[in-house]
Formats: sequence, C-alpha cells, structure tokens
Amino acid sequence: MSALVVSELVVHFPGRHGPPVRAVDGVSLAVAPGETLGLVGESGCGKSTLSRAVVGLQAPTRGSVVVAGVEIAGANRRTLRAARAQMQMVFQDSATSLDPRMTVGEAIGEPLLVRRLAQGAALRERVAALLAEVGLRPEHASRYPHQFSGGQRQRIVIARALALRPALLVCDEPVSALDVSVRAQILNLLVALQRSHGMANLFVSHDLAVVRHVCDRVAVMYLGRLVELAPRDALYAAPRHPYTRALLLAVPEPDPAVQRAKPHVPLVGEIPSPARPPPGCRFHTRCPMAQAVCRVEEPVWRPVGDSMVACHFAEAV
Amino acid sequence: MNAALSVRDLTLTIGGASVVDGIGFDVGPGEVMALVGESGCGKSLTALAAMRLLPRAVTRARGVVELAGSDLYARPEREVRRLRGRKISMIFQEPLAALDPLASVGAQVAEATGLRGGAARQAVLAMLEEVGISDPTRRIAQYPFELSGGMAQRVMIATALVSRPDVLIADEPTTALDVTIQAQILDLLRRLAAGRGTAILLITHDMGVVADIADRVGVMYAGRIAETGRTEQVFARPRHPYTALLLAALPRLTDTPKSDLAVIAGQVPLPNHFPPGCRFADRCKLASDRCRAEQPPLRDMGEGQLAACWHAEQVG
Repeated sequence: MSALVVSELVVHFPGRHGPPVRAVDGVSLAVAPGETLGLVGESGCGKSTLSRAVVGLQAPTRGSVVVAGVEIAGANRRTLRAARAQMQMVFQDSATSLDPRMTVGEAIGEPLLVRRLAQGAALRERVAALLAEVGLRPEHASRYPHQFSGGQRQRIVIARALALRPALLVCDEPVSALDVSVRAQILNLLVALQRSHGMANLFVSHDLAVVRHVCDRVAVMYLGRLVELAPRDALYAAPRHPYTRALLLAVPEPDPAVQRAKPHVPLVGEIPSPARPPPGCRFHTRCPMAQAVCRVEEPVWRPVGDSMVACHFAEAV
Repeated sequence: MNAALSVRDLTLTIGGASVVDGIGFDVGPGEVMALVGESGCGKSLTALAAMRLLPRAVTRARGVVELAGSDLYARPEREVRRLRGRKISMIFQEPLAALDPLASVGAQVAEATGLRGGAARQAVLAMLEEVGISDPTRRIAQYPFELSGGMAQRVMIATALVSRPDVLIADEPTTALDVTIQAQILDLLRRLAAGRGTAILLITHDMGVVADIADRVGVMYAGRIAETGRTEQVFARPRHPYTALLLAALPRLTDTPKSDLAVIAGQVPLPNHFPPGCRFADRCKLASDRCRAEQPPLRDMGEGQLAACWHAEQVG
C-alpha cells in the first residue's frame, strides 16, 4: 500500500480582481513506504501548495489525498487530527517552526504527550532517544531553540517530526536556508533516517542536485501541473519534457570544466501567471520546441520509456 | 594590467573583534572576481567596504580600497558619493527592496544617468534594451510592484550600469531568483563584463555560480581569504582543506545518490573567539600544533594560486 496517494488534486485560490489562481490544477502521484519522491519546480509552480494540501494544512478545491489509507481531503477535524500522527512536515525555516518559549525537550516530547503515548521518565527516555537519532545529546533537551545553530534547529525539527513514527514525512525545502557544510549533514541525516525508519518522504525542493542526491523518483511541476514524473536516473540522464531539460541545463554545476562546456541556451521569458495559464500546453510560451499544436491542445499524461510525461513531442526531447 | 578595483589588507572590526582580517584582491577591467564563503565569513562586509558604505557598527581598522589607483577612503564623503554610480556601482540580492517603489522604471534608471529630458530617455531605453528588457518603451512606465523578480533584477542592473561605471559589485545577485532566471542574469553579467569591460566583484555562497562566470575566486573563511586563484585551478586542485571540503560537501548532478556527503565537523568560530593560529584549525584533519599557534600566510602554490595553509602541499 502506498503511504501517500494524491489523485486529481486541485487547489484554487480566489483571485482578488479576476480569475482564481490555479495553484495546483489536477495533480496525481503516489509515494511508497521507504521511498523518496522529489517534487521540483520554480516559484509559483504550486509545489508548496501541494505539499500543504498533502498534510491537511490547505483544503483542496477538488480531488483526493490519502495518507496511510485515510482520506485527508474534506476530512473532519477529528479524522484529520488522528491522521496527523501519520504525516509530519519539515519546513525551510527552522527558527519559525519551533516555539521560542519551549525547551527542545518539550517541543520534541509534545506530540507524544498530547496523544498520551508517553509521560514522565518514559517520555524523557523517548526524547533522549530521538535526540540521539538526529545527532544531538540528551542534555540538549533542557535548552531553548535560540541556543542552537540553524543546522541544529533543523535536527530538532526532524526529531519532533519523527516522534510519532509517521508513515509520511513531507519536507518543504528543508536545506535551502542552510550553508553548504551544514546542508550536507542534514542530507546525510535524512537519508540515514529513512533507511532506519522506512517512512515515505515527499521532498519538495528547487535544487535539482539536492533532489537527485536524496530521491528515488522525481516529479517536475510547472504552473500547477506535473509535466514529468520519472525514476531518478531516467529523469536526469534522459529528460523527456523540454522544461525538465531546460531546468537541468540551467543548474550551474560546481565544476568550471563541465559548466563552461554546457550549451548555454537559457529559457526565454518568465513563468506566466497561474491565474491565467496559457491555453494548450502551459509551457508553450517558453518552449524552444513548441509547434502549432502545443498552443491549442493540452498534451495528455502518458508513458514514454520509464517516464510519465505531458508533451506532444516527448520522443524528440 | 591596472586593476579597476584593488583592495589591500582590509581589516574590519565590530566591537574590537576582527570580522574581516587582512583581505586583499584585485579586479581587472572585464574580469569577474568572486568572493565565496558561508554565512558570516565577511564577504558582504568586504563588498560594502569597497563601496565605502559600511554600517556604523563596523570600523575599518586598516586597509586600502583603490578605484583605478585612487584611494577611496582618502577622499571627502561628498566626492565619494559622486563616484558611486559613476565609477563604482552595486546590486543586491533583493532587487525589489533596492528599487524605489514610488518611482517608475524609467525614473529610477534616468536618475542614475544624471541626464534630463530626451537625452535621459534615450540613455534609459538603450540601457534597458542592453539588459534584455523587451519592449522598453512600455516598461519605463511600470512600477517595481509590476515587475517579476528577474525583471526587477534587470532594472537594478540597468540602474547600476547606465552611467558606465568601471566597477560593479554584485552581492548575491541571483540568490533570490529561480534557476532558469538565474541562468539569464548570469549570462547577462558575463556579457556586460566582456562587452563593456566592467570589472565585476561577485559575492556569492554558490560554488555553481562561481564555476559558471568567475575568472578568479577567493574562498573566504571566518574573515580571511583561505585560498585564491583562477577558478579552474582552485576547483580542479584546491590547496586549502576548507575549499576541498566545501567542494566535497556539495551534492552534484554526477555524485552517487544517497551516498554520504563530506561533512565539516564543528562550527565556524565566533569573531570574539577566533583562535590565534589558523581559524579553520579546530575543524581540520590536517591541523598540527603549528596551525593552532601560528596564523598561516597566503603562500604561492604556483600559477597565481595562493593558499593560507601550512599543509597546502598535502591537500587533495
């Protein structure tokens, strides 16, 4: 059974002076236990809205989100509260994710305490074990968030997320605010924890090198839609959608020899407004391969090789 | 070659602690020099010092900043203000915070020309065109809130360059931008440096950006330059353990997925706790007693590559 199944998910926000913002506009995906699915795309593509809808922080307009067998979309508070034990989220900014007035031990222990899963000495023991799992020491439990660096705070947030042994972890840009040396530590930790816990992970990021490093499969989002979903190696070696290919070429690689030998064909133009997505293929306004058909006919989501892709000309990419 | 911008022995202190310590580098006309390092390494303060725009809390204890051979700190403030924009300009990470929200695009860029009327308009339109803004006659009437991040960055670059300064300081100019827009802006900066002969000092935390457009690089750690040289050389054969570790800690499009990335143990020391010797010694596997006692100077490792490490020969 998949830990997460998202079907035809739609999240629209009412527009202030016009059509609604179609942040997520018909997305389907699934994540298996022990698997990490990367979700990549540029600002405004809807990846953060999707991840919030998955953990029930954003009510979907239509569609279904099933976490560990439980429907989240449209669920009442009671169902949602029970389901939250199965899904936890890690955000980019660890400083605002933690209550400054709670000790680290209280923060990590709170989910266990409110669900009456542990208290007293047993709770302290569980907190110490969770701190050890994320590479911190038991005595850190009595300190406050401001006494820690950004990387250590992100470890604390991860420990709290793991406290209830969730089936699904949703990480929204978990290392984007961290310096390179600290980022490597957190990425190593996330990979190791998934090996030991076997939870499913939806990993949202704009950084394609980070996503490649931690993910098994990767979904690429553009203007509220998936344009490609493929096993990691297939996606990076042979992208099937022109947008995926453009994204990969745009990543500046930390190797001057490789970087300077790459073809420099930056995508022209900017991402259109999600309130007024272009007709036909939403990417056609920026696509170097666009033909007449792309401007009128929305490409169907179809398998090409090992990948799922929405492009009329996927075979030619 | 005469340097367009030359920084010598720059030392900046906050409350007596040296946050930038003896930094020196040159940027030649048409050259892109990058200062790269993690948060708090002093790269942005170095950039502000080069503009003579240091915050009040920061003191320049030592050091010289020369624009085309003339000392920026030897002039009266009034004169320096005239040089900014004409001889040396700066762009920032958040273009929308740097642009005046109440001035149209045309007015922002025109103000920087020092011209009026038709001459100003001509200069503005030509500059907007040069930074890749399509339909500039329509754009000049727009206000910053109507611009996307990439477009706002182009407007800021146009404002910075319209008076043809010799030096452009770019502090994390693409950090807030999406990767496809970043590629456009980096291409633009590269083209401007080559085409106009502008010397660019690029401040960044991103080794990928350095690899893309910098001719030379200075890797900063805890207020000092750990290593400097031609970009290809430094990346191909780092001679400072910190540079080597930074490069090994990066996930790459070519690494083995889910393998352990190199980590740098410990944390950057705080400015009031800098050790007497090498500031990286506590985190370094090669560190010896000498490293902890005696500060390593930048040593020539050949072909202009300099490394501040007593054990540079053993790195790599």
